[in-house]
Amino acid sequence: MRRLPILLMSMMLVACLAACGGHGKLEKAVRSVLVSGDTTKAAYDSLCSLVTENPGKYADLLTPEGRVDHKKMSEYIKGIGSHLRPPMLWDTRAYGGVEDLSLTIYFERSGSMVPYDQRGGGGQLKKAVNDIINHFPAGSKVEINIVNDGIYPYQHSVDEFLQDRDIYQSTSGIGDASYTDFQLIFNKILEAQRPGNVSVLVSDLIYSPQDTHGVSLDKIFNEENSLATRVFARYKGKSVVVQQFMGDYSGKYYPYNGVPFNYSGKRPFYLVIIADSDVMDLLAQDKRYSGVLDAPAVRNQYRFNQETSEVECRVLPEWKDNAGRFRVKHGDGIVLAKCDGDRQTGKLCFSLAANLGGLMKDDALLTNPANYDVKSVDGYTLTVQPIDRSMLTANNKEYLEGMTHIFTLVGDLKSPRDEVHITLRNELPAWIHQSSSMDDASTGSSFATTTLGLEQLLGGMFDAMKGGSSFFDVTIQLQR
Amino acid sequence: MKHLVYLIIGIAVTLLFFILSCTDGFNIWEVMYFNQGFNDKMFNLNVYPVIAAITILVAWGGAGIYYYAINSVKFDRWYHWLAVLGAVAVLAPVICYIYNDTVFADNGLMYVGESIQFEMQTVLFAALLYVVASYSMRWWSSNCRHTPLPQ
Repeated sequence: MRRLPILLMSMMLVACLAACGGHGKLEKAVRSVLVSGDTTKAAYDSLCSLVTENPGKYADLLTPEGRVDHKKMSEYIKGIGSHLRPPMLWDTRAYGGVEDLSLTIYFERSGSMVPYDQRGGGGQLKKAVNDIINHFPAGSKVEINIVNDGIYPYQHSVDEFLQDRDIYQSTSGIGDASYTDFQLIFNKILEAQRPGNVSVLVSDLIYSPQDTHGVSLDKIFNEENSLATRVFARYKGKSVVVQQFMGDYSGKYYPYNGVPFNYSGKRPFYLVIIADSDVMDLLAQDKRYSGVLDAPAVRNQYRFNQETSEVECRVLPEWKDNAGRFRVKHGDGIVLAKCDGDRQTGKLCFSLAANLGGLMKDDALLTNPANYDVKSVDGYTLTVQPIDRSMLTANNKEYLEGMTHIFTLVGDLKSPRDEVHITLRNELPAWIHQSSSMDDASTGSSFATTTLGLEQLLGGMFDAMKGGSSFFDVTIQLQR
Repeated sequence: MKHLVYLIIGIAVTLLFFILSCTDGFNIWEVMYFNQGFNDKMFNLNVYPVIAAITILVAWGGAGIYYYAINSVKFDRWYHWLAVLGAVAVLAPVICYIYNDTVFADNGLMYVGESIQFEMQTVLFAALLYVVASYSMRWWSSNCRHTPLPQ
């Protein structure tokens, strides 16, 4: 009986100490990785090492063979991340022993493509193709095909392709370069595609079918639009990214209706990247493939067949634009409680950091508030700005690390409760219309930046693969 | 039996303090001082449970030392007990601040002003827990059982 008090006190101390230490080294390490934003493969590997070094302690995260169960590991990390402030997402699926992707290049060799790779030019076309090959991890399976009236395998090695200074010269005589059959090419690419494959068509995207003598341009455009819709509608679950580049062009241009003429200057060309939707998500998120979808030379890009995504957003409690007061309530969704307007203006201004990287949209689209729908009772207005490294400080790093844009919302705080809905509409981007021409008979003012019938071709793909009506939706609840 | 009830209540209060230091929705450390950025980092880096444990250890340890190690008729006046309370109320926030600062420094964070303001709470919590611990364990002290107030 005399020892009972000591026993009780000891039990209490042990309980407190056990509760502190019970989270273990792994949870501490996961928290540290998430808080520091070091969400890299190296960090993931170090967490896996912790698990494999202590198989007894973390047996539930191992397979019966003693390897890390990446699915369980992903759930474990997700569980910890969801209880942080703000909740943090780290998609580790990409590191979980996913097989390397394979790459198949389809290099268009039509008459109008040859002037893009002249010896005197800047070689942007070849560089864009070489870059995409080089950005695939070493050891990935890479195949190269030449396309025009059909698809023909490139007869040399990938290294020879990379070093080839005159690719059109060395591939002369392959197929019929006088026309490009997109229907056949897209069908063949989509048919041939196997799981884990990324196919890239390198083309000027000018539809030039065989035997068009006397056919009006409108008829050709309609045909082009229909074929794109027909082809892509048949293959559900595919995702397509069209990237626009500018390259030096020097040589003969073959207009649809008119006499061929010589042209020297800039011209757009395109990489059409085709893959299963989940593979495209992986390309966008997995750092092993960084550079594939975010090559610096890309002028514009658009991803077709994109469902409404879940975008990670974090409210910035300390931000220069914040006005008024609020307290972030932790739990499901974004809730700002105890909102109070600015003492002088009565306005409430708050900012959210969002990761829009996975959407693969250009900054012009993402930073233009006109592309967003913002609905609220008190009429909040939105501004969007990209995040650059200079904005990061030690104290806000946790909120900004891994994020790409800042949404700032301003409104008069009148209602006791309000809900602000932000939606980025899924529409064919303006650059496609701006880069499309209806006539290419002469080198007019926009000849250097436009492609004949681009809008009709990509519009057909858009109709076939529209995906969701919005790229993402975010709701913020405000409570006074 | 009455003394054992005091002890059990004291342990229950202390455990409640510890539990409320670990929770997200209502956290006892966020009642008197709240700065969103600072407190979120305290929570994410799991600092709350550790500083709660430090506060409990220092408070109960201080009371234990007073009643069972010092345990002398020369030091059985209320002001001797108060002096130990003062030491606990200084020591706990200092240790907590050092721990807090080390964790933040390891993560490249700078919250000096906020940390100092935050640790003012530890002064209060440590003092309260010292009182709780005193009333939980004093009854079995051979020389100081009547300190601070004879009962």
